[in-house]
Amino acid sequence: MSDKKPPEPSLKGTLAAVMLLGLFIACSWIAVFVLFVSRGS
Amino acid sequence: MHMHKYEKGWLAFGGSMIVIFLVVLGIGAFTMGMAPPGSHTHAIDPERIKETAPFDKPGLRHLGDNEYEAVMIGQAFGYLPENMEVPVGAKVNFIVTSPDVVHGFAIPGTNVNLMVVPGEVNHLSHTFNEPGTYLVICNEYCGIGHEFMKTTIVVK
Repeated sequence: MSDKKPPEPSLKGTLAAVMLLGLFIACSWIAVFVLFVSRGS
Repeated sequence: MHMHKYEKGWLAFGGSMIVIFLVVLGIGAFTMGMAPPGSHTHAIDPERIKETAPFDKPGLRHLGDNEYEAVMIGQAFGYLPENMEVPVGAKVNFIVTSPDVVHGFAIPGTNVNLMVVPGEVNHLSHTFNEPGTYLVICNEYCGIGHEFMKTTIVVK
């Protein structure tokens, strides 16, 4: 048995997909919050 | 457990997003009164609304300093009182209940959007800074006449 670790998979595409989804969620949240605040209470 | 560095990154990103959202909402709710409408401490017997104050006399009352109290009943299929009128800049404290089924109470284009539940008294305040005719509509399906359930608030 060798001590060599298997090479790490490249997760660049996954990172891009996750960050796009994350930015979408953050932007929608901010948009709804700004709408709520701008309409006053 | 080995974790890819990107994986750590997006976990931190997602986790901090949740924390930031909750902190912003918490600050808004506890220091600026931005809580959603509702209360479970003001129960009422829905069959005795007509004898229970203040719903025995639904209407708009002037509290002074351009502040009003609107005691309203949402029922199949309309609102009492109808066609209220307030001056521009008036703060209206809505107090609403229902004698029959669940109704909605929404003013499109504003943050006024509450459920009118029999047995509960719902409260919400809104300041009308723009003149105009505001439509109040029921947005909870309440029966055969649901689409006719509306009233207006004139702000001038």
